[in-house]
This record gives sequence, C-alpha cells and structure tokens, in this order.
Amino acid sequence: MSSLRDRLDRLRAHARPPEPALGGDADATAESAEDTGHSAVGGEASRKAVSAGDSGAGPAKPSGLHPALTALGVEEIAGESGSFLRRRAVYPLEHRHGHYVLSELTRCAGLLRPIAVRQNRVRIEADPAVAPADIEAHRLLFLDTETTGLGVGTGNLPFMIGFGYVDAAAGTFTVEQLLIRHPGEERAMLAYLLGRFAGITHLVTYNGRSFDWPVLTSRFVLNGWRPSGVEPGHLDFLHPSRALWKNTLPSCRLSRIEEDRLGIFRGEDVPGSLAPELYMRYLSDGDASHLRGVYVHNERDILTLASLTVHFGGVLEGRLGAEWALPSEPEELFRTAAWLDEHGGSIHAERLFAALCAETTPGGAWLLPAAARFKRLGRYDEAAELWERAASLAESRLLPSAEAHIELSMHYEHRRREPAVALDYAQRALGLLQRRTSLRQSDRTRAELDAVRHRMARLRRKVEATERLG
Amino acid sequence: MNPWTGKAATMEEWLEHLRLNREIMENVTYWHTQPARPARTAPFPPELDQRLSDALGARGVVSLYTHQAAAFEAVREGRHVVTVTPTASGKTLCYNLPVLQRLLTDPSARALYLFPTKALAQDQVAELQELADAMEVDIKTHTYDGDTPPTVRQVIRNAGHIVVTNPDMLHSAILPHHTKWVKLFENLKYIVIDELHAYRGVFGSHVANVIRRLKRICAFYGSAPQFLCASATIANPREHAERLIEASFALVDDNGAPAGEKHLVFYNPPVVNRQLGIRRSSVLESQKLAALLLRSGIQTIVFARSRVRVEILLTYLQELTKREFGPKSIRGYRGGYLPKLRREIEKGLRSGEIRGVVSTNALELGIDIGQLQACVLNGYPGSIASTWQQSGRAGRRHGSSVTFLVASSNPLDQYLIQHPDYFLGRPPEEARIHPDNLLILLDHIKCAAYELPFEAGDTFGGEKLVDLLEFLAEEKVLHENGGRWYWMEQAFPAHGISLRSAAQENFVIIDMTDGHRVLGEVDRFGAPTLIHEEAIYLHEGVQYQVEKLDYPEKKAYVREVNVDYFTDASLAVELKVLHVDKERESPGGAIVRQYGELMVTAKPTIFKKMRLRTHENIGSGPIHLPEEELHTSGYWFSFSEEAAAVRSANDMQSALLGLANVLVHLAPLHLMCDPMDICVVPQVKAVHTKQPTIYFYDRYPGGIGLSQRLYDKHDELLAEAGRLIEGCGCLSGCPACVGPIEEVGLLGKDLALGLLQKTAGAAG
Repeated sequence: MSSLRDRLDRLRAHARPPEPALGGDADATAESAEDTGHSAVGGEASRKAVSAGDSGAGPAKPSGLHPALTALGVEEIAGESGSFLRRRAVYPLEHRHGHYVLSELTRCAGLLRPIAVRQNRVRIEADPAVAPADIEAHRLLFLDTETTGLGVGTGNLPFMIGFGYVDAAAGTFTVEQLLIRHPGEERAMLAYLLGRFAGITHLVTYNGRSFDWPVLTSRFVLNGWRPSGVEPGHLDFLHPSRALWKNTLPSCRLSRIEEDRLGIFRGEDVPGSLAPELYMRYLSDGDASHLRGVYVHNERDILTLASLTVHFGGVLEGRLGAEWALPSEPEELFRTAAWLDEHGGSIHAERLFAALCAETTPGGAWLLPAAARFKRLGRYDEAAELWERAASLAESRLLPSAEAHIELSMHYEHRRREPAVALDYAQRALGLLQRRTSLRQSDRTRAELDAVRHRMARLRRKVEATERLG
Repeated sequence: MNPWTGKAATMEEWLEHLRLNREIMENVTYWHTQPARPARTAPFPPELDQRLSDALGARGVVSLYTHQAAAFEAVREGRHVVTVTPTASGKTLCYNLPVLQRLLTDPSARALYLFPTKALAQDQVAELQELADAMEVDIKTHTYDGDTPPTVRQVIRNAGHIVVTNPDMLHSAILPHHTKWVKLFENLKYIVIDELHAYRGVFGSHVANVIRRLKRICAFYGSAPQFLCASATIANPREHAERLIEASFALVDDNGAPAGEKHLVFYNPPVVNRQLGIRRSSVLESQKLAALLLRSGIQTIVFARSRVRVEILLTYLQELTKREFGPKSIRGYRGGYLPKLRREIEKGLRSGEIRGVVSTNALELGIDIGQLQACVLNGYPGSIASTWQQSGRAGRRHGSSVTFLVASSNPLDQYLIQHPDYFLGRPPEEARIHPDNLLILLDHIKCAAYELPFEAGDTFGGEKLVDLLEFLAEEKVLHENGGRWYWMEQAFPAHGISLRSAAQENFVIIDMTDGHRVLGEVDRFGAPTLIHEEAIYLHEGVQYQVEKLDYPEKKAYVREVNVDYFTDASLAVELKVLHVDKERESPGGAIVRQYGELMVTAKPTIFKKMRLRTHENIGSGPIHLPEEELHTSGYWFSFSEEAAAVRSANDMQSALLGLANVLVHLAPLHLMCDPMDICVVPQVKAVHTKQPTIYFYDRYPGGIGLSQRLYDKHDELLAEAGRLIEGCGCLSGCPACVGPIEEVGLLGKDLALGLLQKTAGAAG
C-alpha cells in the first residue's frame, strides 16, 4: 500500500478533471472578483496607504493592525473571551441616505407596528408581556451579517456582524461592524453582540428571519450558549418589499430597491455574494485590503435598512399620494394598496384604489382582484366598472378568461335585475370559453362551460318570463 | 383442493397436490423441509414498567421470547447490543422495550432510530405510537425525512421523544444543522439501528462515517448514547456492528420465536438442448410456478434480480391471470417507483387485496407487507443471506410456507441447484465495509469539519487525521488556526455527497404520453444502459420508449409504446493500471497476481432488441453517450509467457473468456456483495502486463476493499472455479459454466479447464 500522502496526491490529480465546467466558472468569477475588488479598492487603497503612513509616524500607534484596517477606523476590542475587531461610524441624525433622512426614524419606527404584529404573531401570542408590538426607534437593532457561505448550516460562519442603532439623546445613528481575523475570535465577537442585545425589542433586517438570525442562533449554540426561549422580535423587510415590488422590479435584491425606489446609488460596490470569497482571500494572505469593499457594502446595507424603515413607515402613514408621489405603474399601485389593506391601512389604501380606477391604461392582472375588493365591500358599481374593463380586455386576448363576464352576468342578474343584459354577458362568456377550449382542453374549462350553459338556460327562462309579463 | 375453484384450503394440501404433479416434480432437484419450531419464552423482567406490561398484555403478549429478554437484560447492563434473528421473530421489541422503559421513567430522555429507507421508518412510527397510545402516556414518535413538512419539523426537533429517520437524512439534514437539535443531542440515550445487514459495501462504508460524525456531535453535547442494533442473519453480526459503530457489542442470537413448517424447493428448469446445455428460461418457469400458486389462491411474492426482469415477469403474470384477477391484484415493486405507489402496494399486500407481487430485493428489507405464504425466487439472489431474507417473506408463525428457488442458467445458480448441501450447509455470508476508503473518508471529514471544527489530537477513522486535515487545508477547504481546523468553503458539503452510490444525482423519467408526468427514476449508474435513447423502459408492466435523454439535465423523456421486444445495452470498458501496491507469484511462476489502482473508462456502445418470450435478437442500434471514468482499486492475475506460448491467441481468448464467465459469478459469492459492485474483464494481451490477464475491479471510486479481498483469496477462488467447470454436466461449455459455445467456442470448456489445471494446478 502506498503512503497516505501519495494516495492523496493521486486523488488530487484525478479529482480535478471531472468538473471542468464548474471549476472553470468558479475561476472566472474569482478573477472578475479580483478585478472589481481592485478597482473598488484601488484609488482608496493609495489614500489609505498615505494615512497609514501618517499614523505610523504618530506616537501612539495601536497594535499591529493591517494599515487597510486602521485606515477604515478599525480598532481591536479585547474582552474576557478574547479579542476581535470593531469599526464604528457615527452619523448625525440629519444624515440623508437617498430620499430619506435618518431623523425620520424616530417617528416612523412606531408606524411599523402592523408589520411587527404580523411577523411576530407566534411570539406575541406565546407571551405578550415579553414581546411588545410597540416599536421605539432606540430599541431597534438594524442588523446585517456577512458569512462565509450560503444556508444556515453549522459550517456557515458570520465573519462580519454589522448593526446600527439610534441614540436619540445624542442625536446620532451609530453603525458598528464587528470582524474576526480568524474563526478563533468568534466567541469574543458573539459575547459582545449579546451585550448589545440588551434593551433591544426588534431586529431590523432584510431576510434576517430566515437567514441572519438562524445563523447567529446556531453560532451561539456552537459556542456554548443555549436558547433562552426569548428572542428579539423581527422586522424583516424582505416580505413587505416582495409584496410591493415583486412584479414591477426585475428583482427584490436590496441594491435594486435602493436604486429604483429609495434614491440610493452605491456607485462602485462589491456585491454581497463576493464577500465570502474576499474574506477567504484575506484569511489565506492576511491582506486586509480585500475587506474594504465588504466593510463599505455592509455599512450601506445597514443604512438602507434605516431607509426602508422610513419608507414603509411613510407608506403605512399614508404619505403616498400626499407628500410622496404615487407609484407610477398600476400594478405596483394595486399591490401597494392591497398591502395597505392587509396592514390596517384601508383608509390610505382608498386613495390608491381611487387612483387605480382613474387609470386610463387598458389595465392588467390587477383589475379582477381590485374589483373583488369593491365587491367584498359591497361597492358594486365600482366593482362593475372594473369588471367592464376586464371584460373588454379579455375579449382581446388569445387565451381569454371569462371571469369578468360571469361576474357581470351575476351582477346584472341579481343586483341590477336586468336578465337580458346578464344573458348577453353569459353568452359572451360562453364564446370566450369555447375559444379557450379550442386551444387548450382542460377539466376546468369543461366544468366552466357546463356552468355557463346552465346559467344561460336559467337566464333565458327569466328573460322569457319578463317578456311575457311586459 | 376444491375441484371447482382449484383453490387449496391449506398450504399442506397444496403441497400434497404438488408432489403428485409429475411435470413439476421432474425438475425439483431437492426438497428441503424445516420442521416447525415451538416458542421459547421468558417472563417479563421484574423491573418492566407496569404500564408497558399491561399494554403488551392487552395485545396478548404475556411473556417475552428468549432473545427479547436477553436483549433487554444486555441493554440494562449498559452495553451496546446487536440482535440477530430471522424475519418475523419480534425483533423490534428487542429495542422498543428498553427504549420505552427508559422513556416511561425519564421523559426528558430521547432516542434516535435509523432505518435504511423511509418506508421502514413510517412502519416503525405507527407501531410505537400504537404502544404509547395503549399506555396512555405522552411519548411522541415522529418520522423526520424529506417528506416531513417544514412546520412540523420544528416541533419534532424540540419535543419528539423518538425521532425516526434514515442515514441520508441524518447525513444531509440533521447533523449539518445539529444546533437546531440541542434537546435531542443533549438527552440522547439510545440510538437504534435496524436492518444492520443493509449497511454493507459502499453504502455501509458511508454510513459508518455518518456514525463517526454522529458520535462526535453527541460528544459535543455531552451525551454517550447506547447503540441498539438489529440485523437479519449474516455470518458476522457482532464484528459487523463493531466495525460500523466502532465500539464493543453484546450479541443476542438465541431466537426464541416460533415458526411454522417451511419448505424450500430447488427447481431447475428442464434442459431443452442437451448438447448446448440450454435450459428453459428461468423467467418462464418462475412465471409458471407463480401462476400455479396464485390460481390456487395463495398470496405469493416473486423476487427477480433486475428491474427489467421484474417488469417482464409482471407483464407475463398479469396477462396469464387477468381472467381470475383484476389488473390491480398483481403488482410490481422496485426502486424507481415513486413512494406513494409503493405505500399503496405495501398496504394492498397487508390487507390481502393484492394477491401477488413481483419485486427486486427492495422488499428484502423489513418493510411491513405482512407474511405471505409462498415465495418464488427467479434466480439465486446472489448470497445465502439474501436467499434466507427473501424466502423469509413467506412464512408464518403457524402453518406451512413454501419457497421455490428457480435456477437460472448462470454458473452459480447451476452450481447451487445441483449442490443443495453446499447452500444448506454453509453459513450466510459476512457483511463487509471499508469505511476508510480514502474518497469516502475525505468526504465525511469535510462534512464533519462543517459540523464542528477539528482540534489537534482528534481522531476520525483509521487514517492519520492530521495528514488529511492538512491536505484539505492545502485544497483551501479547511482553514487552520491555533491547532483547530475550520470549514472554510462556501459550499454545503453534504449536498454533493450521496450515501447510496457514486452517482450524485438520479435521472428522472418523464412520461410524455399525456402531458408531462414523472414516472420514476434511475441512478446515474443505470442510466447509460437502461434509458439510452430508443431503449424500452418498463414501468409497472407498461412499455415506454425513451425518446430523448437529456444527459446534462439528467432527464429522460419517454412515451408509451406497445412493441414485442425489450432492449439490452453493452458497455465497452478500457483499463489502465495507475499503481501497483502488491504483487505475488504463484510457486511455479505460471501466474502473477497484482493489486493496485486502476483507471476504468466505460462507454455504452450498442443496444440489442430482444424479442419478448423467445429472447431472440431482432435488431440493434448505437448509443451515443459520454464515457464515464472510474478511478478505483483492482486485482488482476496474468499467465506467464510459457503458459501462453502453448496456446494460439484464439484458444487463449476462449479460455480466458470462459474462466472470466465463471469468476464473475463466483466472486460476489465470496464477497457477499452485489454482483454489480465488482467487475471482471479478461484481456488476451493486457496493456499493463503484456500477458493474458483477468482483471477484477471495485465499481466504486477509490475501491471498497472487494478486489483486495479477492487478491487474498486468489487460490481458493481459482480452485473453486476449477471444481465448478469440472462438475458441470455439459459436453463442451454451457451457460451454466464457461458460457455458451457460441461465445467461447466448441472447446471453451476444455481450454478454460486446461489453462487452470496447467497453471493453478501447479500453484496448488
């Protein structure tokens, strides 16, 4: 038997070829990562080099931190369970991030109650006392982690934990970013983070409910802490963002929302997906300049969480159509209005629905659900108006739906008591369904066809009866 | 026998009737009867919880079988226990009893049950829940597998007393997320592993590593659970348990369960051409016997060795008996059927609604289908243990049962059918694993590092761990800092590692006859020969033709057809020796054998169309698929120039081919492995040795110790081959020894034997 080392080497030689496609791609990404890494850092790096030189000349140069880190204002924190790095940036509340100013956080935080109630239902039901749904800006922690991998398994390590918080008295918004220089520093960083949780009621995140928090929970357990059963509440903006923008933005990635809805332009930015790669490069060569882009990216993410707080607070407060312009696309207008409806904002939703009804464009998928809302509220005339529009849209479609026609047929039969009109709509519905069947057969359309025929027979009897009477 | 319906009142009556049937009895080479065995019992242990004994009493259980009592006692002493008893001997109570006893006295305790398949896990939960309900105690048993809804998962993690799962789920879902299972791991008292014998070969080697990981996680949470294992009959249960778990075990093998009388009938299909040694097809004979049983009202299971055979037999049987039975009363059962369909079939068998089932060894495991009365084995299942396991499907505690072993024309079957004493007198095979296969070990070290960092001084497996960790650090998979090795890759390692085979992904079969419907799946290994384009794929007795095989997307699109043939594909295999680790020369120098590393490239070449029933070749076509590479371990022996010199190249070719045909059947017998796990390739002038050579290799990357074992047993293997050829009754070679004369020539038999006697004889 050959030595273990020989066998491993042969394994390596033969393990390589089978995955050329994958390996090739990975290399390509790595290279482009290097490019972006350099171009993002390039100019800055030279500036930092100067400042590092400056501080190096100064008298009290703290420890042997990499110049790229000192340039970023990173300091070493030493505690009972070891040391790690912390960077702190303090913003005055007057700071503007895109459309919004941080000082608005104080007022807007409280407006998010309906989101908090919805997202923390299980927890609030379990123990209303420890889980207040009331929200105060200074008891929020705006949290975003950068991890070494995907998923929430035990091998995914958050190497950077960034969080922001409001100090109303000082009039500041502070961003802290904790970094570990190697996995051995994790415990100290987590202990520090735990200290920061004191007095916090909610974590404000983007996908934190199913990513950042489960990952952190796992890390606490791995380092010997046990879940107490009491967790901070969540304000996770991923779900509200999807509710509003899923159909009108190409994606619901934070950077997309920033540019298209929050007025934030990052310029050169290291995409979050490259963070693991950059950290691993730092681990292998110790060059902290790889991390500059990650710091910047993470800090902006945290500021954007503050912007989202203001944005959703404003939406719930009814600012759309008042101080703020209404969404320009009917689809988004409808989704926003429907979201407001679900979050106790029906009064404000009204204005949006009114704007929607005033839309002159032919309409779209939103017509039927919007009509259904008016029907639910007993406002049949408004509903009928939308059905009419949906009906004429349907007639121009290759594969039409007969739903609007059937609604109208019911409307004229039962509420307006005009069986002849109702019959006409039913007749047209039948035509549409037949056109549909000729293109695609399905059990559903067959059932629908039967139902329409049944309806027509009844309506014919009614029409005949009316004629006899007349 | 009821003269009007043809139904037999009892099995005894049916067997009486059979003995008078000359047409059948002519082909019976041996009739073995195992007498009925009475129960041996022991009283409930005095410390057994009253609630437990009451609940058992309510089910009519008032005492334990001796093996159940022995297992209880061994667990009480704190030992790891492995119980070995045949099918239907009440072995689940051997582990359920101590587990429930503990949970009754300590509600915070937890137990983890592992079964090789999901189906087994579900049966188990039903049984445990029934007992808990009968005791009116709050003991929660849950299955945790791919089908468990996400909402339920969290409840199970925190509150399930007994979590029932499979090794794959443990590997890819539980261990990598162990922090969600704090309650389970901190309080884990028992780990139950049933069907221990199923964890052998590649699968077993993987599972041994999953258990290494499991023990590591338990240690992290401060628990040291006891392992309670159960196995079907194998030769080395304790050794196997100890290799798999890496701990010392107490063995409980004194079976106290009663059994009814059992008949094992050896059946050899009649010879239709004596000179060519051709017998009637075993498929047709199995079908005849099964139809005879089914028509007499006897619930019957038929085992066939391949998926294709299952489907062919199913088609024949359904056709033969369609007047007596509805189309749903005779079913197929094999891997590749979707779980829902399988559950439906299992249920139908238990209720008796389904009268007959044709299965691969998928039903060999303890899936609950009740006890049937008769079993027909189409061909020797490949190992003594499997044979007993499959025939155990027929057999009740009271009343008789019968198993027919229908020999196929392959050499091993013919050897066994003519030497029943060899079969009956031999202990069942050993289960072997090779958990330190470098590839398997490395894969699991990655997974383990993902779960918890390694520390200096840790051990994992039989190789020097620190070397492997350093290797992985060089590969930038791990990161070393302060004597600890951390996972440092973006990927989730368990996703890329399948415990079941080298194949990472299965091919999905999509039926396009009416819309798109997922029909089943085939592992990557079977894909090139089973679902190449134009192949006829059989599913539940229905023929489908593969229209398109999307190799990169792992999808095969099929459409229902009705043709009178099936397809059979061939592979072209090339071998390259990379490294020789061991070498030995036979005393006379006529044979040199070597063991080392091989690179095998396999490429499917052509497929043949074979007419149904007659199995004649009616056409062929090419297969265009990429070749597959396999880096594995192998053993080969070559004949010296002197031995080769006296024969023409043609004669040598025939001799080698004949010998290889025999060895391909004998090798799995010695290894107790699936015949698919080991390959045999003869070459008249091998590239590596320049001599006539026969190669064996493990069909798994890195090898799993099979060819290494053959290298050690070389002499015994060749001696056995000689005996088999010599003992065959044919004139000059037949499918039952060196192969049919069309393949090895008129002198094939003499040439093979001559070669062996000249060389190996000298060695002996």
